[in-house]
Amino acid sequence: MARIELTGLHKSFGSVIAVKGLDLAIEDGEFVVLVGPSGCGKTTTLRMIAGFEDPTAGEIRIDGRVVNDLEPRDRGLGMVFQTHALFPHKTVAQNIEFGLRMKSVPPQERKRRVREVAEMVRIGHLLDKMPSQCSGGESQRVALARTLVTNPSTFLLDEPLSSLDAKLRRELRAECDRLHQELKRTFIFVTHDQEEAMTLADRIVVMREGEIEQIGSPMEIYGNPVSYFVADFFGSPSMNLVSGEIVHEAGAARFRAATFEVPLPERLRDAPRGRATLGTRPEHVRVRSSDEGAIKLPLRLVEPLGKDTLLYFDDGSERAFVAVTEGFAMAEELEAGARVSLDLDPRRLYLFGADGRRIAAVHS
Amino acid sequence: MTKSRRRRITTVVRYAVLGAWAIVVFFPIYWMISTSFKPDTQWFAWPPVYFPSPPTFSNYMNVWFGVQEYAETQYIQSLQKPLIALRNSLVIAFTSTLMAVTFGAVLAYGVSRYRILSEVRMFQLLMLRMIPPIVVVAPLSLYYSALGLLDSMFGLIVIYFLTSLPYAVWMTKSFIDEVPREIEQAAEILGASRWRTVFEIVLPLIRSGLVATFLFILILTWSEYLLAFIIGKTQAVTLPVELSKYQGTSEGRVYGRQAALAVGITIPLMIVGLFIRKHLARGFSFGMVRR
Repeated sequence: MARIELTGLHKSFGSVIAVKGLDLAIEDGEFVVLVGPSGCGKTTTLRMIAGFEDPTAGEIRIDGRVVNDLEPRDRGLGMVFQTHALFPHKTVAQNIEFGLRMKSVPPQERKRRVREVAEMVRIGHLLDKMPSQCSGGESQRVALARTLVTNPSTFLLDEPLSSLDAKLRRELRAECDRLHQELKRTFIFVTHDQEEAMTLADRIVVMREGEIEQIGSPMEIYGNPVSYFVADFFGSPSMNLVSGEIVHEAGAARFRAATFEVPLPERLRDAPRGRATLGTRPEHVRVRSSDEGAIKLPLRLVEPLGKDTLLYFDDGSERAFVAVTEGFAMAEELEAGARVSLDLDPRRLYLFGADGRRIAAVHS
Repeated sequence: MTKSRRRRITTVVRYAVLGAWAIVVFFPIYWMISTSFKPDTQWFAWPPVYFPSPPTFSNYMNVWFGVQEYAETQYIQSLQKPLIALRNSLVIAFTSTLMAVTFGAVLAYGVSRYRILSEVRMFQLLMLRMIPPIVVVAPLSLYYSALGLLDSMFGLIVIYFLTSLPYAVWMTKSFIDEVPREIEQAAEILGASRWRTVFEIVLPLIRSGLVATFLFILILTWSEYLLAFIIGKTQAVTLPVELSKYQGTSEGRVYGRQAALAVGITIPLMIVGLFIRKHLARGFSFGMVRR
């Protein structure tokens, strides 16, 4: 059982600042995902919690106890590495057993627990193999088992799935989720993959340039991003972000982009004039069959994905303006080049100021 | 010219060049072995005798065991007792090499993981090896006589250990660098102490590299002549020094005897090399840790 608290955590490597004054409390049994682009400080944060890096300033507490000066092995944590970091000269069984041996667990007990854990992550048949004989997915399961067997209070996972292919990644993601449900331990998971963060986390911590950009549940992060950065980072296909300006005409606020103009809803009436970015998720863009839509854009590309069809429109910028429609209907109906009438859901419009921060709350 | 034809020609040329090189390399060894079995009448024979007829063991019996009846035309009594020199060589070479590799590996670990030596210091360490031994021989023998280390096996062990340490550090460091840090950190967070991590994870992983380093340094110390000649005078004679004593004797040059002794010096190293060739191939090709 472990509650992990980070206070004013700071880390610099020479002149490079990796983590800036991080404050974060992770509750016991919580699944927290640290997410952000590479170089945002998420791995450094995790490594400081593990004890592989010494913070330049700030405190790390586990269950109220400051652990800054504790060796990694004395913190009661378990870690799974991106590269699996299996011991290549030991068999799978010896790999799993290692942690127990270090804790002087008697051989009989060790054997029993190795088998137990191996069954748990379904690698019972691999016990006598060498790590070099295991596939990527199997290796990661072995790494998980090796950590599981020591029964740590907290699991630290450093991009554990990023070296695997998409299908295996989904499979092991489900595995991590199941383990968390079963073990009810604290999990801290680092990834740069927003999809992984969305599916696994109780709480997501979005990091950017060494600082926390936003903390929240996956739905909060997705539905209520505090900045352009978060809005852009989460969602696949990502949010449509169109730059333009806010103008006020006859008591009403309007957003004017290069190729279209839309009235802003009542709750955004007070948005300050000037340059801004309008955001709307592809699933909140409705394709109208008639000409009544608020905006009209030329269709550039139709991408039928099976369950959905993605429509890419030209809004005058480098980035396409994307709409998602269900099924194949649109793929058959529309052709590239056509001008299509679209409606934007006024309840799901986001505005970001020139500084990248959100201008006003969407859900009033 | 077709592609397959070109490839065939390339193959032929490649084997021709390698074959010529092999002859250049192996001929002296062949000549040494052949001479060691020749009766004394064939040592200097012209045209040269390639295959001793009849082959004789007399050179070996005479050189290694001082058996006189095998000396057919000459009387050579081995004064320096090659068997004792062999023992000296074994003790000195293996002890100093083992020490160099052990300390070198520990030092290299510190350099690789804790940067206890900067790049410049590491280079300076290697520079130590670039000093011609003859330069240090005179002051060294003065020091050694003051310390009472002259003409002792211990003295030779110490100097060999010190001079081969730079090689040991450089070579083992390159192997340790290959071991991903994460593997060590995994061991650490699973509860292993630093020493335990080194002995149970790092050293076994670079085993092949250590073996390659060991053999490399062993060859150097085993065949070292100058320092052994100056320091080892009469009580700590090593095989290379012993060998040189057959170069000029009152009876003239006794090639057959010398060859018999040379074979005895070369064979042990070859045997060691054969035993550990699996490690050598891996050790010298680096990158044996799968990432």
